[in-house]
Formats: sequence, structure tokens, C-alpha cells
Amino acid sequence: MIGWAMRRLPPGSLGWLTLHELRGNLRNAGRSRVGQVVGALFLLGYTGLGIGLGLLLQGVRWQADPLAWLVVLVATILLFTFMTTQSLLASQRTLFEAGDLDLLFSAPLDPRTVVSAKLLGIAGGVMLTFSIFLLPILGPVAVLGHPELLGALALLVALALVAACLGLGATLLLARTLGPRAARTLGQILAALTGASVFLATQILNQQGERRESGTVLLFEALHTRGFGSGPLSSLPGRAAFGEPLAIVLLLGGGCLLFAATGWAMRNAFLRSYRAGGMRPAGNRAAKGGIARHFHRGLFAAIFAKELRLLLRDPALLFQLLLRIVYLAPIVLIAFRDGRSLPLAPTLAFTSVVIAGQLVSSLAWLAASAEDAPDLLKVAPVDKDDLDFAKLMAAMALAAPLGMLLPLAIAMETIPGALITLLFTAGAGGAVGYLEVAHAQPAPRSTFQRRQKGGGIIRSLVEFVIALLLGLAAGVLVYFV
Amino acid sequence: MSIPALRIAGLHKAFGKPVITGLDLTVGAGQLYALLGPNGAGKTTTLRMAVGLTEPDQGSIEIFGVDARAQPQDAKAITAWLPDEPMLYDKLTPAEYLGFVAGLWRIPPGQAAPEAERLLRWLELWEVRDTRCEGFSRGMQQKVALAGALIHDPRLLILDEPLTGLDAAMARSVKDALRAAVDQGKTVIVTTHILEVAERLADRIGIIAGGRLLAEGTLEELRTLAGSEDMSLEDTFIRLTSRP
Repeated sequence: MIGWAMRRLPPGSLGWLTLHELRGNLRNAGRSRVGQVVGALFLLGYTGLGIGLGLLLQGVRWQADPLAWLVVLVATILLFTFMTTQSLLASQRTLFEAGDLDLLFSAPLDPRTVVSAKLLGIAGGVMLTFSIFLLPILGPVAVLGHPELLGALALLVALALVAACLGLGATLLLARTLGPRAARTLGQILAALTGASVFLATQILNQQGERRESGTVLLFEALHTRGFGSGPLSSLPGRAAFGEPLAIVLLLGGGCLLFAATGWAMRNAFLRSYRAGGMRPAGNRAAKGGIARHFHRGLFAAIFAKELRLLLRDPALLFQLLLRIVYLAPIVLIAFRDGRSLPLAPTLAFTSVVIAGQLVSSLAWLAASAEDAPDLLKVAPVDKDDLDFAKLMAAMALAAPLGMLLPLAIAMETIPGALITLLFTAGAGGAVGYLEVAHAQPAPRSTFQRRQKGGGIIRSLVEFVIALLLGLAAGVLVYFV
Repeated sequence: MSIPALRIAGLHKAFGKPVITGLDLTVGAGQLYALLGPNGAGKTTTLRMAVGLTEPDQGSIEIFGVDARAQPQDAKAITAWLPDEPMLYDKLTPAEYLGFVAGLWRIPPGQAAPEAERLLRWLELWEVRDTRCEGFSRGMQQKVALAGALIHDPRLLILDEPLTGLDAAMARSVKDALRAAVDQGKTVIVTTHILEVAERLADRIGIIAGGRLLAEGTLEELRTLAGSEDMSLEDTFIRLTSRP
């Protein structure tokens, strides 16, 4: 469909270039044929759900009130956070990874058109992602008797425009102040933090007091008691989503204006940066001393040194790895919140095993699947089993410092319990690490976040279940020790 | 008679359609052998099978008398492979990369470190030994990969299009390095599209097309085969590969 639209636009025009960007975004999603079929079926079912909901709500009349506006406000905050994350990552790809800027700037096109198309491409990509989730439900409900809900689409567009400005603005600002290399790393960390912030905020709220409500409900209540959702500004998203023309005009118009203004300003900043020396990251370090320290005895030492260096030199990846553990925080927090009803040591034993499973699985994936030079290892005179074993050991050794923490904490209460925990932690790490190494599929390190796509999701589930069962066993054993 | 560095017999490989069809090839020890052929002739596939990266459907491969299919590790221990895209880690420095490769080939540190220093100095990489490879030009990356290929002192060095993308000075230094390796007694097999390289450097030249060896010999022998004593290698190559 994008190809069809491109054929109808003048080549090199803003619209044509923007569609080219969108096509790139869609293809970057990189789904296999099977994935596309599954996705299409899912979308079909999802739309069916929307139609069903539309039919159900066909005769229902509703009056949007401050409570409904507050719901939309909370949803808008969540949505905007995710959109900003996506736009930050998309800006990173555009500036540092796309590799097509030389081609585009060497073409007989106005460079400002190229940059505007890039910016529109980022906003369009964000919009497309979230439209897939909203349109199949909103569309049928709107068509089947509630046209006012089309205002939600206008809200979506406005949010995407602002998020795109924010993402590219932050990336450019970082590049200008810290240089392209640090900007890339910090941008990725920022994106990961933004994505996790909502989760962390709700988890921390979950731990407040003795009540059992979820963090989202508490956030909702806190906003409600402070009058959010009913004020002229905070009710704007809600009013727009329920089809109030003035709110739609204000939000959409404001979004477009902001996009145009910041786009114009950033376009110039972007061009200046690019012309001043490109956006490709580069680094140089003065050589010093001998090189004997880089040579190790044995295969494990060589693999371990390599994996450790690659991990430490990719702060964004390291951060994503640690963030996966942060996502397991609720388990630890439960141990402390319900300390009176749940015994601490068994809960910590369970947590230690589950976290080790998660950590070793990620590290083993990096060592085995995300190998940068697989052919080098294949032409080396090393048995594949020896190599796999060395990689598994390296992954476990890298995870060991973190894996020791909770057993050490348990040792304050019970030494046998700590030993049991250590044993099960190592066992879980070994088991899931073995699965990951044995079923390695070549993939770039940059796809770490999306590694569960395709067959990986089943493996990840199996690994999680293994860690969960071993964690439960460890918890029960520590309880009875 | 000395054992050939590489002996390929009756090699077959198909990826859906046949790519290599009964290839026989023998490369003597201590030679610089250039393997030429049009695009899609099967040069890279042949070499990838020789180093154990691609499994042949049929046929035998021997490296210095070692059956590469039956004893792959023994064959790999004496072979180095340098593809057109260097097998590097962007975030490792040349010194660290050589340390890693030495670990894979299990070279004792006491032996590997001085050799790495010699290679880094020889290839003019010593000053950047602690700089990550991600900022290197293609030529420098190719030199780091060449150092990695040489660190375990291979008897057979196989290179696929080693001069692709290199500037004249860098190409010259790689060519010198290859010639020096042969002078030290190593065997070098190289594929190239640059016929001048084969003409100037190679002791023997093999021309492969349609998955089999069309002709093989010294430049003079190939000219005789093509039917004219005073033809350039380019003309000889075109005449031989365009025969029905």
C-alpha cells in the first residue's frame, strides 16, 4: 500500500520521502512470513473483538464526565511515556544507524526536505505502532454509532507529533553537548529508563501501606483527589478523545504547531551537526604499554575476557540487562512488604533463583546467539561442545557477582539455607544457560530487547518455568531447614 | 613428491541448484595460488568448504594430507581463513582481538604475545593497538583480521577477495604481506577480481566457472591454453571463461 501511494507522489517530494521512511520502519519490524500470518490473524481477531464491542455499545448513550476524562488522562500519560521511548529509539536509529543519510544528502534534494521527512517518519512510525493497538477497537466502535470516539485518533496523532519532537530533540541535544558516541549510549539508557519509569512508579506505589490496590489504581486515585481530569488543561485529552471539537482543534493544532516549530529548529541543528562532521560514533584511545595482559591460557579465559569486555563496552546493553532484573523487583518487594506473613529467607531464595535464571539466560544469549564473528569460531580448531561449555561458563561467571548477593543475605539468617540457595541459583543459571546456548540462533546484539521474537518466546517461557520451579523448590527447602 | 597444501577431489555442492559440480583442485605447498572466476562461479563456496564453514554434499578435502572432513580440528589448526568481510569485534582493540584468537587456537600466552607484537608492528598497527576496531577504516580492519589469521602461524592461508575496498597503499601492504608469508614457506590461496594481482603475485592460477575448474597453471601455461602467447591475463581469462 505504501508502494502504491509512493508511485502516485512526485519522487523526492516530502510525502514521497516520508512514505519511504515509513516503509523502512515497517520493514525494520522484520517479521518472518509465519510471523506476518500470525500477526494478520491476530489483527483480524482483534478487529472482530472491536466489531463485537461496537455492536454491544451501539445503542448505549454516554455522557463524558470528569471521571472518564481522568481515565483518558492516565492513559495519555502512559501512552506518551511509551511513545517518547519509541521516538528516542527511532531518533537513535535515524541519526546513528540508518546509514542512508549520505545517500539522501548527496541526492539533488533540498536537505531540509530530507530532515523533515526523517522527522515525519519518526512521528509516523510511532503513530503506526500505537494505531495497531487502538484502531481495531476504536474504529468499529466509532463507525457503529459512536463517531465522537474518532477524537481519540486525533489525540493519538497529537501525542505522536509531540513525542517525535521530544525524542529527536533530546537526541540532538545529547549529541551536541556530549558528542555522538556518548549521545547514542545515553539516549539508549534514557529510552530504557523512560520505558521502565511507569513500571517502577506503579511498583513503588504498590508497596505503599497495607492496601491491596494496584499502583495504577493508586495513581488514578491520587490524581483524582488532586482534581486532575476536571481542570481546563488536564481534561483536554479526555475532551478530545470524546470528540469535543474545540479540544481536538487545540490539541491537534497545538501538536502540529509544536511539530512544525521544533521541526524547523531541529532541522537546522541536525544539518549543522551533520555537516560539522557527521553523526557516526567514533572513538580513539592512545596506545600504552605492552600487550601481554591480553593473552590468556585456555579457551574459557579467552571467551570470558572477550564477553566481559564486549558487555562493559556497551553501557546501553548493560543497562538493558540490569533493567530486566529491575522488572523482577516486585518479587523482592513482596518479600519486604509482606515480611510478617511471608518468611524472608525462603522468599529471597526463590527470588535469587528466578533472577539468576533471567540474568544467565540473557548473558548466554549474548555470548552464543549474539556472537559478532561466528565464522571465526567455526574455523577455529575448537570442538563445538567445548566452545558451548566455555560460553555457558562465561555467562555464569559474569552473573556470579549478582547471583551471590541474595545467598549472602540469607546467610545472615541461615547458613544451610544460603548454601541451598546458592546451589539452586547455580543450578537454575546452568539449566537455562544451557538451553540458551544449545539453541542459539545468530542475531545481532542490538536485537537484545527483541530476542524473544519467533521461536525465542517458547524457549524464554520454558526457561522461566524452569527457574520458577527451581525457585519454588529452593524456597520450600530453605523454609524447612 | 611433497604433500599438497590443499587437495580437493570430486567436490559437489548444491544450494537448491548445483553450485560446485565435481571440482578437482590441487595446490602445492609454498605457493601463492590465485583462484579466479566470474561472479557466481563457486570460488567462495569452494573455499568455505575447504575451511569447514560449509558442508560439501560430496567429495574430499585434504589440507597437508589431513582429511578436513574426518579430522576438521586438525585441519583447522594449520589453516587460516580471511573472508572479504573481516571477522572482527568492533568493541575489541587489535591487541585484545589477537589475544582472543590466540586463545581459540590455544597458543600459549608466552608464545602468542611476542608474535602479536611482531605482527602489529609489521602491519603498522602498533600505535592503534589499544583503540577499538569500530573506528577503523576498512583497510585497517582488514590488517587486524590478517594479523589474527597469522597469529597461530598457519601453514595454509586462504583469503577471499582480501583487497576489496582497500586503497592503493593499503592494498600494496597486504600484497607485500601475502608475498612475505609465501617467502616464509606458507601457502596462500587467494580469490580476486583484480586480475593484475593474480598476474603479478600468483605462482599458479586456477580459473573456475560453473562450479568446476576450467584451467590451471602458470600465467604462461594459461596463455598457451587460451591459444596466444602474448595475451594479457584479462584476455586469457575472458577467452577461457567464454568457451562453451
